[in-house]
Amino acid sequence: MSKKIEVEDKILSKNDKLANELRQLFLDKKVLVINFVSSPGSGKTSILENILPKLSKKYRLAVIEGDLETENDAERIRKAGIKAYQITTGGACHLEAFGIKNALPNFDLDNLDLLIIENVGNLVCPASFDLGEDFKIVVISTPEGDDKPAKYPSMIRASSAIIVNKIDLAEYMEFDVDKCIDYAKRINPNLVEFRTSCKTKTGLDDLIAFIETKIEEKHAGIRG
Amino acid sequence: MHEASIAQSLLDVVIETAHKNSVKSVLSVEVNIGRLAAVEKNSLLFAFDALKEGTVAEKASLIINDIPIVGKCNACGLEDEYDNFVFSCHNCGSYDVTIISGEELNIKEIEVEDE
Ligand SMILES: [Zn+2]
Repeated sequence: MSKKIEVEDKILSKNDKLANELRQLFLDKKVLVINFVSSPGSGKTSILENILPKLSKKYRLAVIEGDLETENDAERIRKAGIKAYQITTGGACHLEAFGIKNALPNFDLDNLDLLIIENVGNLVCPASFDLGEDFKIVVISTPEGDDKPAKYPSMIRASSAIIVNKIDLAEYMEFDVDKCIDYAKRINPNLVEFRTSCKTKTGLDDLIAFIETKIEEKHAGIRG
Repeated sequence: MHEASIAQSLLDVVIETAHKNSVKSVLSVEVNIGRLAAVEKNSLLFAFDALKEGTVAEKASLIINDIPIVGKCNACGLEDEYDNFVFSCHNCGSYDVTIISGEELNIKEIEVEDE
């Protein structure tokens, strides 16, 4: 004999619950939290190296680095003069909310305006795991091909902004930036777009201005 | 492969539910997975089978229901299924489409041994 028990629960309910607790904490402390996601090699660490020193002139910032094995990215951020804490996931392809919670004692949230989470390089898995962030920014670089948004629709949908990076290489890579962004916007019409190059320093000021606006909104108590 | 994390979270809920209901053995677990949830079905089945060993759910089979993507157009009101990930209304072409199902990552029910 057997019987059925209704469950009606989200599979990731524990992660979601913890993420919501973190979100409330970040709201109380008025800390803007941005979750950066991308494939490996998209250049998101380079973007952070470029924009964080400028943002740090006005705001107090810190970075949580998610990485499979190494401390290399955290070292790069520290060299740029920014406090960085590394979470090595030991092979896991994404960060989870409990990892963020465990990292928080390393930061003084009362004296912080912006916390950047640099997620593990992967465009599939981090889409499912809420970390309590205000929003996600997805980074795609021109060597990856302009059809990338079509291949990772869940991440495009989960993100609030898209950065197309390494646009200085677009021509050589036969990467159509307009086509890529158009397609991404068909999947998610609300995406804010940035076109950047860390080599030519293109588009970085726009990104900085966007983040500054979001920090100010967070201070004013407007939800991201 | 985040399916391992998802399978572990699923098993945690199943084991907890079994414990609360004083269940000796779970026979099957039924889940609803939306096509937008970015879950690879075979990876999830594989991970579930590997992780269930030695738990109250070790005999359980995992039943995965594919949930289609359904969107509602905010311009003309059409409610329709979407096969691809471009949400342009099939009636009026608007991109202002709200997803009403297809993002599920939910447990539906478990079947257990009853004495
Ligand atoms: Zn319509």
